[in-house]
Amino acid sequence: MADSYIKVEDLIKTYSSKAEVLVVLNGIDFEVDRGEIICFLGTSGSGKTTTLNLLAGIDKPSAGKILYDKNEIHSWSLNQLAEYRLNEIGFIFQDFYLMEHLTALENIMIPLILRGETEDMAKEYSVDLLHSVGLGRKALSLPQELSSGEKQRVCVARAIANSPSLLIADEPTGTLDTKTGDGIMELLLNLVKKNNMSLIYTSHDPYLTRLADKIIVLQKGKVSQYSQKEFPEVGYDKASFQFLVGDENHE
Amino acid sequence: MNELDKFVGEEEEISKYKKAISSISFNIKLIWKNIINRRRSITIIILGLVFSMSILFTASIWSSTSQKIIADDYLQTLDYEMYVSTFLPNHMQPVFTYVLDDPLVEDVHWYYPTVALFNFEGKADNYTWYPEEQQDDLDDPLSISAAHIVSSAAMERIKLNLEVDGDASLNQGEIMISYVQAKQLGVIYNKTISPGDQISVAITRYIPNTDIGEHQMVYYDIDDTTFENFTISGIYKYVGKNTIIAKMLGGIGNTGGVLLDSIFFPKESLGIEDLNIMDSNGLIPKLLVKVSGQELRAAGIADMPDTIYALKERIEFRYWHAFANILSQEIQAMADEYTRSFGSTVVFLPTIAVSIILTILSSQMTVRKRKEEIAYLRSKGAVSGQIIMMFFGEFLLISTISLVLSIGIGILLSGLIPSFGHDDGFFSKEFFSRYFSYLEISPYYIEIFTVLVLGIYLGMTLYNVITFVRKDIHESQIMTKRGQKIIKTSVKVGSFVLILAGFIFLMIEYYRQVAGTSSFGFSTLSISIQALLVFIVLLFFICYFISLGINKIIMKLGKVYKTLFKRNSFMILKNLKRQRKNLTDLTFFLVLTICLLTTLVTLRSSTIYNNEIEDDYRMGADLRIESLLSVNISYMEETLGQIEGIKDITGFQTIRALWGTQIRIEVYGIDPDKFLEIGRWTDMSFVNMTAEEGLMTLDEQQAPIAVAGGVFGVFTEKTSEKGLILSNYLVRRLDLELGAEIEVAGFTGSGETQFLTITGVIESAPGLGVSHGYDPKMNRETDDWVLMNKKVLIEELDVHNGTLLLASMKEGANADQIKQEIESMFPFLTVNPEQINPDYIGYFIDKYIPPVTVILLAGAIILNVIGVIYILISTDFILEQRRRENAVLLALGGNQTKVRGLLISEVSTFLAVTLLIGGPLGIAATAFSLLFIKPLLVAEEVIPLVLHVDGLALFIILASLCLAALFGMIPIIRKQMKYEIVQELRAIV
Repeated sequence: MADSYIKVEDLIKTYSSKAEVLVVLNGIDFEVDRGEIICFLGTSGSGKTTTLNLLAGIDKPSAGKILYDKNEIHSWSLNQLAEYRLNEIGFIFQDFYLMEHLTALENIMIPLILRGETEDMAKEYSVDLLHSVGLGRKALSLPQELSSGEKQRVCVARAIANSPSLLIADEPTGTLDTKTGDGIMELLLNLVKKNNMSLIYTSHDPYLTRLADKIIVLQKGKVSQYSQKEFPEVGYDKASFQFLVGDENHE
Repeated sequence: MNELDKFVGEEEEISKYKKAISSISFNIKLIWKNIINRRRSITIIILGLVFSMSILFTASIWSSTSQKIIADDYLQTLDYEMYVSTFLPNHMQPVFTYVLDDPLVEDVHWYYPTVALFNFEGKADNYTWYPEEQQDDLDDPLSISAAHIVSSAAMERIKLNLEVDGDASLNQGEIMISYVQAKQLGVIYNKTISPGDQISVAITRYIPNTDIGEHQMVYYDIDDTTFENFTISGIYKYVGKNTIIAKMLGGIGNTGGVLLDSIFFPKESLGIEDLNIMDSNGLIPKLLVKVSGQELRAAGIADMPDTIYALKERIEFRYWHAFANILSQEIQAMADEYTRSFGSTVVFLPTIAVSIILTILSSQMTVRKRKEEIAYLRSKGAVSGQIIMMFFGEFLLISTISLVLSIGIGILLSGLIPSFGHDDGFFSKEFFSRYFSYLEISPYYIEIFTVLVLGIYLGMTLYNVITFVRKDIHESQIMTKRGQKIIKTSVKVGSFVLILAGFIFLMIEYYRQVAGTSSFGFSTLSISIQALLVFIVLLFFICYFISLGINKIIMKLGKVYKTLFKRNSFMILKNLKRQRKNLTDLTFFLVLTICLLTTLVTLRSSTIYNNEIEDDYRMGADLRIESLLSVNISYMEETLGQIEGIKDITGFQTIRALWGTQIRIEVYGIDPDKFLEIGRWTDMSFVNMTAEEGLMTLDEQQAPIAVAGGVFGVFTEKTSEKGLILSNYLVRRLDLELGAEIEVAGFTGSGETQFLTITGVIESAPGLGVSHGYDPKMNRETDDWVLMNKKVLIEELDVHNGTLLLASMKEGANADQIKQEIESMFPFLTVNPEQINPDYIGYFIDKYIPPVTVILLAGAIILNVIGVIYILISTDFILEQRRRENAVLLALGGNQTKVRGLLISEVSTFLAVTLLIGGPLGIAATAFSLLFIKPLLVAEEVIPLVLHVDGLALFIILASLCLAALFGMIPIIRKQMKYEIVQELRAIV
């Protein structure tokens, strides 16, 4: 029996402006099992990042539920949500969001410090993490002194620092070249397996779907779920694009 | 050129014109849009500019307006400003005509001195009245009194010197008599003389010379000048003031002299012929001159003494026989006091300077916030000139708005501020409207201050803009960063050294001017103001250099942060270590603000403390007993000494004398032992000796006097009691030394000349004030006083009278009870008067210009507000810059309480460190500034001005700064926390 500890039920997210109401998510449902790797596939603007933000509790849904161990997370107080993010979620942002004034090591220490670890302990553990992502020699480098791939590795180390049960990665390879992207994905998968974490990542690259247990395609605010086996071969041709946007007549 | 070309050419002209208009209109719209979009920062800049300019405008308008009111009001309280006398009979008329025609003169009144006789009826021509105690009919004696013949208009002014029971008028058929005269007439007529009573009086046209045997009634020449049934309109007492009447008729210590026993008689009741006869008989009239306030103050208060002196010179130049006496000391004192009072507003300058800094820093922040905008404009092809012009356009608009507001506020404030706190209520409408009727605006100062403030603002804004523009196009690479740093540091250190050198020069000049004097005049005040201004600039530099050091210290306090903030210390330390420009600015601003706040508060507490002990010192002892009449001191000592509660009492026999031919001195006879015991002496009263050593030099028993080694020599020999203690100023100025024998002559009423030895040098004495210089607070007319042993005055000069006694009280005695007892026993005595000279011009000026303590307090409060505003602006700016960081922290699991705590801890760290440095620095700055700003704070240094730290006031003002800043931050932080994490992450990339 599948161990689903996160359930998303009829999740709706809209953005209102003076001109219009934009429906990004129009009642989506899915579940996340422990140790499961899920890939969200969709074109730009399909709602992938919005879904991750809602899962991480850094955005509020317009309607619907996200249940974590059967608890609706958006009914929690801000502090409870902060606790949830701190202890259960590791977030890898598409744009890194590293603190520019802190070194690679210090950036990794932040979640540990926020959790209340002593500075010395946080430092010791962060050094190990840096080594585990292959950046042992860059501990004292500032973000502006790192390449994009190195920055992403720091982000990965920061995300797993608090041993979360769910790792969320928003376009982890989006700003990287193919080789570096592959390296990051490999690193992520190894860490996830090693620490028995679930991983949800987004991508608009059909190629990356091969690494996931489950692929969720976001189209026009709705989701279609596929297992790895069920998922059709999707490439970079016109037909694949039409599949992703959910419109066969789309030119 | 054909017709078509002309047409095309004309079309091109119109097109260019339209283009220019369109471009200007577009730029104006752009500037306006920029201003509207940055409402908050623009509002702060406008507020800063308006505050700085309006305070300067207020000071300028206030200065020019208030001096007109002060001069007018003060002159209203004076009877006259001048009297003119002559020694040639029947020569005053042309002088009168000339003086009256002088544009400076408002009115001239005649004054004739003569004698009035009462109870003269039935006395034969050969009735012998002299000597008085042996006149012919002692049972029904003739009463003789001094008579002042003046017009009713003159009486209107003279009555300012009198306290009148009844009506202070002098109409036809009325006379006014003195209190003493009324008592004498009461004895003669055996009834109480009251206002409204009718009496016969004879005005004499000649005053007999008893030295040549003119002892009979006939010599008075009263045949045509006897008046029956004159009504006594009022009975007056003389109340001492430094006025023209006091100068003309006053006695010792302003006791009134001939005014004590005299009458006023209406000039209109005497015929011209009678007056001419009097004049011919040697009763030569004097002219009482009232000047026009408007004319006298036309060139400002500072020129008033010279303007009136010029009138004196004009009269004496034309009429060699005439001599004009003016209230030179009083008018000079007013000019000095006004300058000092207004000069003291200079202590407000740090507040204005900080306000300008606030404006500059806000402007810097605005420019820094617009880095992207500048970069975008450049990327779209805008050249440096266009970007600078855009900022210049904004400057023009902001400046115009600020200037209009500042002038309006300046005018309003200059009338509003002095209208508060008057006797007629919290706010005086009458005064407010009066201020506006006197309103005077100097375009010159408006222009100067505008150029000053806006120039600084424009300069700094353009500097910042150009710096960004240059960075953008890599022009800064012309020089290496290290080279730029060296140049910047050299400019700062060089400027500091230059200013320091200037300050040292001013200090030397100041000490040269104040050496040996305790009274501060215009020149000392001026040099003191200059020194203060330079010191403020120095203080800015010092705070700047210290703040650089603090930033380094702050970063090296890791262990302290760990102890204080536990696990938050990591983030706090990392944030503090960023060394961003705005953090450096914040440190500088906080150190400066806290230092200046401490300085203002401590200067205020020192001044208040000084004023309190100075008042006590001027009062002299537990009980200060002043007499309206000159009384026998020994008798008073004996009588009052018996009152229960009085422990010991000593009085001062007083006489005026001349030293050389010019130096008028007031001589006080003292009992050295008692004066030492009763008086509130300080260590600084005598020069280089204690009060005991100084006073004992006048003691016959102990005097260890003589000279060896100059003024401050060692005393080895015993000398006589005929010592003299005189002012340090005279000793230095006349190159005298202890032990020198000097000749003092011209003791009033005595032909005696005394040879006295200088046995002590004094700066001031309790109860008597400063020993040199006009001391208007003491209601003393002469410039200098000296101390002698009272035995010399009593035994050798036959001087027994005086007007002042000091007494100490027994433990537990009630001063009010003793005061009541003494004043009921002797109505002419006043015990512990609220103010020794209630007409002191300083109290009068306080009505229009707040005393320096109020200015210091107002400065501190405004500085406090500016400090809080800057902390909040700065916090807001820092938080704006950290919005993404905070969003990331929250996204990583940080909770709002923690993030909020981090921010508050950071600001608290800055506040705590800058408090620890700025506070002591402020106290040190105060202690140092007291060395040269005494003239701004006190009129005379009666006692040494010392540092007095009012811990409570300091705590309140600094705590209010910190609390207001911390509480003020809450809504800013809350506002920041309201931003949605996702929006922040998405918005700021």
